[in-house]
Amino acid sequence: MRNNLRVFVIITILGLIISACGGGASTANTGGPVTSAPDATDAAVLHIGWLGVPDTLNPAYAFLTEAYSIFDLVYSPLVTESPSGEYVGALAKEWSASDDHLTWTFALKDGLKWHNGEDFTADQMAWAINAVIADPDGWAALSGYVDGFSEATAPDAKTVQIVTEYPIANMEYRLSFLYAVYPPDFESFASPEELQNFVNDHPIGTGAFKMNAFDKDRGVLILDANKEYVDGAPFLDQVIFQKFDAADAMIQALKAGDIDLVLGIPASAYETVKNFQGVKAVAFEGRGFDELIINDTSEDNDPPSTGNPALKDPAVRLALETATNRQDLIDIVLQSLGKPGSTIVPPTLGGGFWHNPEIKPVEFDIAKANQILDEAGYIMGADGVRVKDGVRLEFRLQFDAESSNYPRIADLLSDWYKQIGVKATPQGMDADTLIAAMTAVGDYDLVIWGWVADPDPDFILGVMLSDQYTPGGWNDSGYHNPAYDALYKKQQSAIDKNERQEFVYEMQEMVYNDRPYIVLYYDVALQAYRSDRFTNFIESPLGIEISASLAQVKPVDK
Amino acid sequence: MARRDYLIGKMGISLLTLLFVLLLDFMLFRVLPGDPVRAVIGRNVRISADVQNSLRAQFGLDKPIFPDQFVDTLGQWARGNLGVSWSQRRPVSEILISKLWNTLLLIGLGQLFSIIFGVMLGLLAGWKRKTPFDIGALTFSLIAWATPTFWLGIILLVAGSAWFGLPTGGIVSPANIGKPLHTVLPDLIRHLILPTLTFTILYLGEYMLIMRSSILETLSEDYILTARAKGMSNFQVLMRHGLRNAMLPMVTIIALNLGFTVSGAIYIETVFSYDGLGNLVQTALVKQDYPLLQGAFLLLAVSVIVANMLADFLYTYLDPRVKAN
Repeated sequence: MRNNLRVFVIITILGLIISACGGGASTANTGGPVTSAPDATDAAVLHIGWLGVPDTLNPAYAFLTEAYSIFDLVYSPLVTESPSGEYVGALAKEWSASDDHLTWTFALKDGLKWHNGEDFTADQMAWAINAVIADPDGWAALSGYVDGFSEATAPDAKTVQIVTEYPIANMEYRLSFLYAVYPPDFESFASPEELQNFVNDHPIGTGAFKMNAFDKDRGVLILDANKEYVDGAPFLDQVIFQKFDAADAMIQALKAGDIDLVLGIPASAYETVKNFQGVKAVAFEGRGFDELIINDTSEDNDPPSTGNPALKDPAVRLALETATNRQDLIDIVLQSLGKPGSTIVPPTLGGGFWHNPEIKPVEFDIAKANQILDEAGYIMGADGVRVKDGVRLEFRLQFDAESSNYPRIADLLSDWYKQIGVKATPQGMDADTLIAAMTAVGDYDLVIWGWVADPDPDFILGVMLSDQYTPGGWNDSGYHNPAYDALYKKQQSAIDKNERQEFVYEMQEMVYNDRPYIVLYYDVALQAYRSDRFTNFIESPLGIEISASLAQVKPVDK
Repeated sequence: MARRDYLIGKMGISLLTLLFVLLLDFMLFRVLPGDPVRAVIGRNVRISADVQNSLRAQFGLDKPIFPDQFVDTLGQWARGNLGVSWSQRRPVSEILISKLWNTLLLIGLGQLFSIIFGVMLGLLAGWKRKTPFDIGALTFSLIAWATPTFWLGIILLVAGSAWFGLPTGGIVSPANIGKPLHTVLPDLIRHLILPTLTFTILYLGEYMLIMRSSILETLSEDYILTARAKGMSNFQVLMRHGLRNAMLPMVTIIALNLGFTVSGAIYIETVFSYDGLGNLVQTALVKQDYPLLQGAFLLLAVSVIVANMLADFLYTYLDPRVKAN
């Protein structure tokens, strides 16, 4: 009897010991070796908490924002967007376009060096750009930026030339994503898949910070300052990114001082974080917005749209916007952290250069909205729903059920619309099912969704193009306007910035007046840092963690 | 002889279960709505429809689920290959193994403490029935068992980091990553305190309650009375006759829990950003990474089955009736 009990106890303990040893073993053997860890006492180490982790450090196949945050610190492109929205030289000292706008010439800065100490030469930059042109499948994440590029050449060691097939208006924006990757790391791949599978855990770049270690499993990424950085050595010695799986835990880590900087605070926690001692919370307008999409699919679509035909009536659209209380949405849903929306180009793009300020959102006015519908001939029915020619103003109001904001927005909209005799029934759905029902099918009435615009207006303007209304395309409203499409082409090749601005302004006006979208609000991004330890951040729509900002951050003198 | 037949029978059932799980494993994630390619590349990324299609082909998603995808997957599994994770671009088995050890460390410690304290508490409470100690232990256990994991975790995290300066997440401090085990052991232990404590509290309640009711039942048996009549001390009665018999339901529960807690650690691992299996499953679900999900669920299913077999095996030692049958 006793022996049997003993066997049980021994087995249990043995099992636990084995598992404990195993745990230790994996701790010991993962992650690259951390070299030259600065002494904890006097080194300036900035700990950054984030909720994600780069999918890969290979720019050919990186899709997540986290990866691009690291590329920005480790790699340099020829030109880069400055915090004020202008494009400034990163590797390039100056640049110019030929008179026909087909040849761009870049003069490189002096003293450029790779992180491994080798000299950086113009033909290496040309190689990096040509690699993307030659293998668009392999360089899936960047190939969109070289559309219309013929080739890059290096006439001498300090000059890069790029020849394009047609004039490209947003050349600087495109180049800001074409990083100078270290050719020996990328030369030897036989197929696009091989290139995509390359993890590039030790990228060699020319940026302000160089890679020390990346442990993807633990979500920890360590960068050392590049003391040879061409624009001057950073004041920090090391930057450590650490992943958190729960936002609450990350915020507690900031409060406890385990981390110094938090990227992305939930709006609900912002007030709390603002009151932390020794912490500065910053809110800045980002590039995102949320909108109400109104089905604009044409009558002859295949398959036929199921959208309520009354939505085609501009009066109904105007009434919907007039009955939308943007400020209430912002106050209730976003805890006042947002800005009323108007056009599809957010005010932060290009430092405000591209947003049309003349367009003012319609004022919220239920009485006026009712009047608009009365005048358009929609008669209030006994059940409180207006009717015209047998068509009832009764709509599906769909949204991605996973969003924390959309269900509340839908409830609020539905309440306001009820007051003008419009019945909008909120319906949460799976995001992909919703996309499939919208793009090129038109099986919806009203949908709440959002976009994050690129720094250049080209992409966000592109979501209204007729030829984007395909499965997997970006046009989800079914908006079709040949005049708009023509203007889009014009702005793409308008080299003169002011001329391009006019086109972009006019396109915003078209979309605003036709209302395929009612832009509800522009997002505000929320970040926070330990101001008792670090100072000198640059606060801009690009975030306080960009290279230009971190390169000048200083520890607070104690 | 009888034991061998019993064990062979149990193993047969386990194998059948495993086959069924394999089938379910394949189907389960494919009936979920959504597009894995979109999940991998994220939303609002400027990836053309062409590139999306080429990724779809690379993942084998352009083929019909039956028979192509199914046959491909089964063939892979038969060769012992779990495939390559779409979102991480690494072999699934490699990812699973690295996470498994971390999870086993957490679960092992948590189970060890919750079993020790749960059994002790239950035993004492049952022995001292209806005393303030019993009522106190019962109340504590009921509350502990009913507490939501996530909530308890975040409360302990806030309290532990604010009052005791314990780390808020991870398995070792970033600066210690990649260093040999013996040099980071103190740091590793500091990181394990809070998650282990959360785990212990959550399971302690369950073990205590079952142990208490089991010991109460046992103590009312006639043979206990006989043992007392023979003149054995209270301690001897409790240990030799009480504990031994009351442990039977505990073995079942512990074995089942060992299997299920591999997945049950999802919440704890998420709160403490602990690099383990539970955490992995959660990310894989969000990313709709079929190969990774399939691999992880296969592992979870196998661990439940193995734990059950272990319980059956232990029964043959602990319960003479099983031996006799």
